[in-house]
Amino acid sequence: MQHQVERFRARSRWLHWAIVLSAFALFVTGIFLYVPEWGVVAQDGWTRLFHRIAAVVFVAAPVLYFLTTPGRALSFIKTIFTWGKGDLEWAKAAPEYYFGGDESAMPPQPEMNTGQKLWSLVAFVSAVGFVITGFIMWFFKGDVSPGVFQAAIVIHDICLIVGGSMTLVHLYLGSVHPRMTESLQSMFSGEVSVEYAKSHYGKWYAEITGEEEAVEEAPSSEGEE
Amino acid sequence: MAEKAILFDATKCIACRACQVACKGWNELPGEETTNRGTYENPPDLSTTTWLKIKFAEVSSNGTLDWLFTRRACMHCTDAGCVKVCPTKALYHHELGFVAYDKNLCSGCGYCVEFCPFDVPRLAHSGTDDGVLNKMDKCVFCADRVTRGLEPACVKTCPTEALVFGDRSDMVAVAEARAAEVGGVVYGKDEVDGTHVIYVLDRAVDRELHGLPTDPEIPAITTAWQDYLQPAGYIIGGLVAVGLAANYVVARARMVKEKEGG
Repeated sequence: MQHQVERFRARSRWLHWAIVLSAFALFVTGIFLYVPEWGVVAQDGWTRLFHRIAAVVFVAAPVLYFLTTPGRALSFIKTIFTWGKGDLEWAKAAPEYYFGGDESAMPPQPEMNTGQKLWSLVAFVSAVGFVITGFIMWFFKGDVSPGVFQAAIVIHDICLIVGGSMTLVHLYLGSVHPRMTESLQSMFSGEVSVEYAKSHYGKWYAEITGEEEAVEEAPSSEGEE
Repeated sequence: MAEKAILFDATKCIACRACQVACKGWNELPGEETTNRGTYENPPDLSTTTWLKIKFAEVSSNGTLDWLFTRRACMHCTDAGCVKVCPTKALYHHELGFVAYDKNLCSGCGYCVEFCPFDVPRLAHSGTDDGVLNKMDKCVFCADRVTRGLEPACVKTCPTEALVFGDRSDMVAVAEARAAEVGGVVYGKDEVDGTHVIYVLDRAVDRELHGLPTDPEIPAITTAWQDYLQPAGYIIGGLVAVGLAANYVVARARMVKEKEGG
């Protein structure tokens, strides 16, 4: 019996870190226009140049991923827009679970639990919002009406507030929360231990192994190998 | 200090354009190479080196032809769209009421160009400084003169007293008296909470024919953006961070306790 299971394929990890780096660069270069007191840094226009270089990476990485791995990309999008009864059960158990309560009270989770699905959805929607409004601000300044331009700026800011706040939650859960011990390293190695997979993603583990010991109720067993 | 204003009386303007020349002279702005476009109006538009120009309009109505002259330059609004949207706060209100800017702080984003209801600020490499970045320029209200008790260069040179300078309240009074005298209207007294360039226009013509918007206003979304949305962002981000810190403390303590307890 193996002791590690693969959770993130190499291509997914590359995508993740490309987005991390470009999003971080976008945040750092964009925040100077959000905080007026820091505006002095933006005065020579270098932040705009770097913001746009990072924006190209931020757009190109997922586009490349989609072109080379369309199946997984589409299945990811389908997953984050599919919500059901299991999500309600997660929500009921989540406060106790995330505040350090009894781990076994959380129902077995699929590959992406409800919290991760929520994060992915917010990240996806705000990224689309960022890209569309950023595209307008970059290429259509002066061509669109002031109302459209103002809306683009405001939506860009809302994406920062909503997406940025969720990013804080994601950073915390991924690398700081005392229960998520293998989350960060798995985004480097791509693997988690069998114990971690069973305890955190019982439903998913059962699907990929065919084992049912980790779950309380029988999984749908439609898992692909 | 009392707010200052420039009074422009369109009924006295003869379009000699001495104000344009004086503006360039005092502010050391280079001339522009222009072409004959079949009009005395030149240059065709405001630019980073033309902060003031007289706009000519030929308007025929009821069989008569009006030749309208309008002063085109920053209106120095009280509710100024450019000040509202400037992300680096390079644009600001001087204590004398006019809209000043610190060109060093300008990031060249061009939001002010988009949101000026009077289409005044211009963004380009002006060639008057060493930087490589496009930066905004517009009428500076001759801040170096007016803060020393002098009138702006355009007012100083005007031969027909179509341009007058003084305390804003006085200029409004003069404008209203003159409007009553010639049957004209005052523009800029209340528009965008009051501009610091007050116009006297002939009542017979529409202000739109002068190139002035009938009802200039800053959209609510513009006000909402920096005044409400951005502060809300700090609060939301802060609450999330505090919540996560609290979660860490509680979750860790409970998990450690559980581990020790067996």
